[in-house]
Amino acid sequence: MGYIDEKKTDALNKAKRKRGIGNLDSPKNPFDYYEREYGTVPQDTKRAPFQWVSEVAYKNVHRIVTRGYDTTELMEEGYGVIEVLFVDYQARIPTIEEGQMLNYVMIMALEDGISSPAAISRIVARSKTFLTQACGASIMAFGHAYGAYSAFGNMLEKYLTLAEEQNLSLPDAAKLLVDDYLYDEALGVSNLMLQDPAAKRMLARAEKLGISGKYIEFTKHVVLAAQDAANGPVDLDMLGATGATMMDLGFTPEATWAVLAVTRSFAAGAHYIEEVEREGSSRLGQQLTPKEDYDGPADRPVPPIAERAAHATSAVCKNPHEWKQRFENMKNVRGSGFKIVEEIHDPSKKSGINKVGKL
Amino acid sequence: MDRDPLFKRKTSISYKTEEKTVMRGYNLSDLAEEGYSFYDAMFVLFQNRIPTEKEEKMLKYEMGVFLEHSMSPSAVGAIGVSAGRPNLPVCIAAAVSTFGGVHGPGAAHGYMLNKYLERAQKEGKSVDEMAKTLVDEYMDAGRPVMGMGQPQHIDSDPRAEPIHLRQEELELEGVYLEFQRAVEKYFHARRKADGRSYVGVNVVGSGNTALMEIGFSPNAGWCIGSVVRGFSCAAHALYNMKKGRAWGASRNEPMVQMIDLSMIKYIGPEDRIVPKKEEQQEYAKKQKEEGEYKKWVI
Repeated sequence: MGYIDEKKTDALNKAKRKRGIGNLDSPKNPFDYYEREYGTVPQDTKRAPFQWVSEVAYKNVHRIVTRGYDTTELMEEGYGVIEVLFVDYQARIPTIEEGQMLNYVMIMALEDGISSPAAISRIVARSKTFLTQACGASIMAFGHAYGAYSAFGNMLEKYLTLAEEQNLSLPDAAKLLVDDYLYDEALGVSNLMLQDPAAKRMLARAEKLGISGKYIEFTKHVVLAAQDAANGPVDLDMLGATGATMMDLGFTPEATWAVLAVTRSFAAGAHYIEEVEREGSSRLGQQLTPKEDYDGPADRPVPPIAERAAHATSAVCKNPHEWKQRFENMKNVRGSGFKIVEEIHDPSKKSGINKVGKL
Repeated sequence: MDRDPLFKRKTSISYKTEEKTVMRGYNLSDLAEEGYSFYDAMFVLFQNRIPTEKEEKMLKYEMGVFLEHSMSPSAVGAIGVSAGRPNLPVCIAAAVSTFGGVHGPGAAHGYMLNKYLERAQKEGKSVDEMAKTLVDEYMDAGRPVMGMGQPQHIDSDPRAEPIHLRQEELELEGVYLEFQRAVEKYFHARRKADGRSYVGVNVVGSGNTALMEIGFSPNAGWCIGSVVRGFSCAAHALYNMKKGRAWGASRNEPMVQMIDLSMIKYIGPEDRIVPKKEEQQEYAKKQKEEGEYKKWVI
C-alpha cells in the first residue's frame, strides 16, 4: 500500500488515528480512513502511455494534416475554409456546388442583428476583456432554442428513422413530428419569417444547386403539417432552412450546430469591437437595478442573529407529501429553480476508443 | 412572440426587421444570392466594403490555412472541456477563449506593427530603419519579438512563409509586408550575430501581416484568426464526444487516459496533519511566523 515511504505513511496514519478526525472513524464508513495511502499514483506501465488520439488531424514539426490532407497544400491548391470544413467534419472534398451552398449558408448565418450572441459579446466586452472571451461567450449563446441546430437535426433524424422503420410516408411522419413538436423552439417552422423570404430563397438555391435531399424534402412536409395544425400563420424559418440544408450537405446535427455557432462568432467579434469603441466599459457596482423592476419580498429588517431559531425555517421534508408541498411552494420563489424540469443528457453517441492505444 | 430587442444599442453593423437582415447596408440574402463569398462578407462586416478579388483570395488562404492546427492549446481546451460532456458550444467557446497573449496573439502583433509604423511616420524614419529599431528594442529588453518562433514547428512553421509568398504572388505587398519582412531580416541577423539558432516567422507573423495589409484592424484580424480555429476545435471536441471516453480517466481503456490518476505529479508541500479547530489560531500564527508557506504562494 501507499505511494510514499511506508514509515512516513504509518507514522502519519498512526498520529491521525490517535487524534481522531471528525466522523472519519465512524463504523458507518465502508473503509478505514487511517489505513489509506499518501502520494500520487505511480505511472501505469501495463497500458500504453497517454496520447492525444484523433481521427481529425495531426501535426509534426514540418506539416499539419487533416484527414490525410496537408493543410498548406490544400491552400496552395486553391481550397479554403469552406472546403476544409467538409474535410474536418466529413473527411472529404466537397463538390463545387456543395461548396457554393455552404458558402451561401455561412453568409446567411454570419449576422442576425443584436440577438443573443451579439448581445452577450457586447456584455462581456463591457468588462474590458480580450476579444476572444467575447467571441467564446457568443458561441455559448447557441442552445436548444436559439440556434437549435442540434435539436432540430436530431428531431428530423428521429422521425425519418421512424418513417423507415414503420414504413410511413413522409407526410405521415411529418404529421407525427408536428403532433409532438408543434410549439417547440426547434421545429424550424414558426411565424418569424412570414415577411422575410430569406429562408425560402435558401431552399430554392439548394434545389437549383442540386443539393436538396431527404432532409429538405422532409422539412417541406413538416412545414405543411405545421401549417395544418397551427392556430395562426406559420412558415419555414431560418432554423429549418439552414438546418435542413446543412444536413443535406452531409453535416451531422452537432457539426451543423458547431459550424453555424462559430460562423456567428465572427460577427460577435465586430459587435465586441463596436461596443468597446462606442460604449466603453462597466465597473463593478456601476449598474443599478431600479426598484420598479423588482417584485420580490418587500424590504424587511434582518433578524438579529441571536433570534435565528425564531425566524429560520427548515427545508428538510420527512415524507413525499411534505416534499411535494414544499416543491410546489418553492415554484413561487422565482430564481429558485423549482419551476424548471429538464433532463441533462450525455451527448456522447458512443464510448471508448478500444481500437487504439494498446501496447 | 416577443421580438423586442434584448437591449438597446446604436449600431453601425446591422439591423434586422421582419422583412430582412441587413449588414452594413447590404441585405444578407442578396449578398449570398449574388454569389459573394464568405470571405467577401468578412470585409463587409469588419471594413464596410467589398474587397478586390485578390484581397478576397488572400483572406481565403489565410483563414483556410489557420483553421486546423491539430493539438494546440485551443484544441486541447476543447477536448478537455468535452470530457465532462457539456453542450458542444461550451467546448468551442473554451477553445476560442484560449487565444490570448501567447497562443495566436494576432492583436498583439498587429498593435506592435501599428505602433512602430506610427513612430516611423512621426520620426521620419524608413520602414526598414524602424524594423531594426523594433528588433533591437525588443531583443535588448529580452522580450520575444511577436510573430517569430513556434514551439512545435521549431525550424519553420509550414504555414508561415507560404502565406508571405501568396501575398507577394497576389501583388498585395504594402507597408505591412515590407515592415514584417524587415523585422524578420533584422531578427535573423541579430540572432546569428549572437550565435543563436535560427527561429522562423510563425503564422501570426505572416498571417496577421497579410490580414493587416488587406485592411483589417488588429482586433478584427484576431477575431478572424481565433474564431476560424473554432471550426476545427469543434471537430476535435465532437470526435471525442462521439468516440472518446467521457471523463477521460477510465482504467478500462487500453491506453492511459488524459486525466488518469497516474498523470498527476505533485510537487507541493508534504502530507501533513490538519490542525484541530481549537488549535487553529496558534497553528496559523506559527505558520505565518515561520513563513515557509510563502514559497508556495501563487
